[in-house]
Amino acid sequence: MTEIIDKHVLSNKMVILGEPMEQVQSAAFNFMLPAGAALMPEKCCGAANVMDDWIFRGAGDKDSKQLGDALDGLGVQRSSGVGTSHLVIGGALEASNLSAALGLYGDVILRPRLQEEHFGPARQLAIDGIKGLDDDPRHKVMLKLREQFYPTPLGRSTAGEIADLEKLTAEQTRAIVRERFNLSKTIFSMAGKYDFDAVCRQFEGLFAPAAVLRQQDAGAVQIGKRGSKYTHIHNDGAQVHIGLMTETVRANDKDYYNARVAVSVLSGGMSARLFTEVREKRGLCYAVGAQYNALKEAAGVAAYAGTTPDKAQQTLDLIIAEFRRLAEGISEEEIQRAKVGLKSSLILQSESSSSRAGAIGSDYYILGRVRSLDEIKEKIEATTVDSVLGYLRNKPFKEFIVVTIGPKEVKV
Amino acid sequence: MTKQGLNFNQRILSNGLTVIGEENGSAKSAAVGFFVRTGSRDENKQINGVSHFLEHMVFKGTEKLSPFEVNERFDKTGAQYNAFTSEENTVFWAAILPEYLVEVTRLWIEMMRPALRDEDFNIEKHVIKEEIAMYKDMPNYDVMDRCRSLYFGEHPCGNSVLGSEESIENMTAQQMRGYFSNRYAPNNIVAAFAGNFKWEEICAVAEDGCGGWEEKKTDRRISDTRGSGKKDKFEKPNVSCEHICLISPAVAAQDERRFAASLLGDIVGDDFGSRFFWELVDKALSETAAMQYSPMDGTGTFYSYIRCSSDNAGKVLDIVGRIFAELAKDGVTESELSKAKNKVLSALVIKNELPMGRLVDLGSNWIYLRQYRSIEQDVAAVKAVTVKDINSLINEFDLRGFTQYTIGPAKQG
Repeated sequence: MTEIIDKHVLSNKMVILGEPMEQVQSAAFNFMLPAGAALMPEKCCGAANVMDDWIFRGAGDKDSKQLGDALDGLGVQRSSGVGTSHLVIGGALEASNLSAALGLYGDVILRPRLQEEHFGPARQLAIDGIKGLDDDPRHKVMLKLREQFYPTPLGRSTAGEIADLEKLTAEQTRAIVRERFNLSKTIFSMAGKYDFDAVCRQFEGLFAPAAVLRQQDAGAVQIGKRGSKYTHIHNDGAQVHIGLMTETVRANDKDYYNARVAVSVLSGGMSARLFTEVREKRGLCYAVGAQYNALKEAAGVAAYAGTTPDKAQQTLDLIIAEFRRLAEGISEEEIQRAKVGLKSSLILQSESSSSRAGAIGSDYYILGRVRSLDEIKEKIEATTVDSVLGYLRNKPFKEFIVVTIGPKEVKV
Repeated sequence: MTKQGLNFNQRILSNGLTVIGEENGSAKSAAVGFFVRTGSRDENKQINGVSHFLEHMVFKGTEKLSPFEVNERFDKTGAQYNAFTSEENTVFWAAILPEYLVEVTRLWIEMMRPALRDEDFNIEKHVIKEEIAMYKDMPNYDVMDRCRSLYFGEHPCGNSVLGSEESIENMTAQQMRGYFSNRYAPNNIVAAFAGNFKWEEICAVAEDGCGGWEEKKTDRRISDTRGSGKKDKFEKPNVSCEHICLISPAVAAQDERRFAASLLGDIVGDDFGSRFFWELVDKALSETAAMQYSPMDGTGTFYSYIRCSSDNAGKVLDIVGRIFAELAKDGVTESELSKAKNKVLSALVIKNELPMGRLVDLGSNWIYLRQYRSIEQDVAAVKAVTVKDINSLINEFDLRGFTQYTIGPAKQG
């Protein structure tokens, strides 16, 4: 299975990527705008979330209602989100409507109306989104964990900060849109059924003339300090929600695939160690698991567990012990299960146009190129018990950053 | 949008178990599901939560397989697998590379006759209680559960899927074995396959594995309800927003008008572009406002979920009341319907591109309708819905007749 990756760089340096999929009738696409949480100016945490809403409230010759109706009329399944590095806006739809949808997104990016009257509701929804997290401790604990784990501003909450948002003005936000919607640093990715040349021609017409106006540097982030080792947020809920994270290698490291396999031994399938030791043998949790989590600048392994207060300490201690026990030895069968799990999930995801559009865009941003599925499979295949243990022993999990939300604190 | 090369087959084994499959030679993966027609509506108060608890226990193995061996055998194949339980179905599924489908199907077949050992039951009880605790910390789920119970009252669809801490604590493995033997009868199970597989081969595997299961009569009593129409509220000190759930009656899963109902749900409460969206979310009166049609066996409902600040709750409910009243008076417009159709059709196409997405529709259609429906048939049915169809639905099922449950912060003083 050798897949093709289409790539073209527009005259304004915006990168266009595509992965054709013969078996589908849909197309999925993402614009990765260099306007993520870490790139917001100081004291404007959450501005990206306001922008994400505000830019859709009218653009080009369409007001808010007309724009919404036009997107709905094309059957666009909209998706958008704020990450550390990018504000990603995109969607999935029947391929025959792709060109029309891209035209609308061109307006949203280049000619958003950003009217005063719409700023208030856009900002209010961003504030309400943060307040809503108080009623979703599972989600909130992981956001707080990233905040503590990644050095500032990489860890900044992708939901925003209420205090900053309350002071944010329409004028400031317009200035951020002007500055950060830098097309020369924007990555466009799509997957599914499309005509690559036609999309490139359309984009050259849509975006290239705007290049002159958008040449400011989106700015590199200045990396600061990491947060505290342990944070507890009191909440009289039924469970203690535990998040913990420890440093590991980045995607461009020679040990990257060893790290991925190690995390899969820890928490790949239901036979992996965390599920077996914490849930199957002891019944401490319903939800427990760990994942590799990477930014371009740093990476970690993040684990979550939710458990009733009396079991919280035992659960945390056990999870940390399992992280440490990895370096003591891994069986051949465990490695094989981890490898087959990683390879299989890669192929299963490759059937979804949305998954592929997301994956190729993020590869390009993090690595500067798109890895083929064959390359990833080969590199997973090349890992061995010795290579994974070698990595774990050379780069042992040392420090754990822990955050808990619930009625009881734990000892770290 | 015609899909090439989809081939449907079915076989009913002599003991009543149905095997269905839709082959798609161009898919990279395959999906398998065992759809058991049983859920919390088939329980009584003493054993409330047993269907879901039993779903967990199926993973604990058989007379020959330990829980750890079950997990290892799945993981060796790289399968993505799990199960879910609703008010009326328990579904065990796996998405898998084609070369492992037979192996994983054989494993599921073994597991469908579980050992239900006391020691596993006692450990898993803790896990179930943790799951109940987890959902207590998610008011967006909790409010739906409470509202469903208020709406259905004594109707069995009001039974909680998870059960209560008390019902789980008091449940015995013996009670679970009794429930299993009644409900996991062959005539109550559909084995479904989608994606890249060979029908004759997989059907032989199913016949070989399940054909020997003892035949047993099992069924379910079906009745419709229009809901209690009651209103209730739960104030919780640690909750920060107002979580509002409204449930009103709708057509059953077997009703031809289900496509119209689904489009109405979209017109009123889709994430973007719906009446809720423009009146509530766009104006920032509520952060989330959604309505969805939920088809069930012999009955059906519209669920609305709205999250807002306590200050806005009164105003939000007034607006919802006005939206429902306007719908009752003037109905929906051509332009609304056309947008909703585009969205529903696009979602249908995207979902069905994955064998796993296709499996869910395939299995559900068989469970509820005893019928195979191609993607093209569903597309045509959506396209055929008219404004008149939707308006007569609104006329018959007035959205204003809702049952309401709210979870919100405790009032000061």
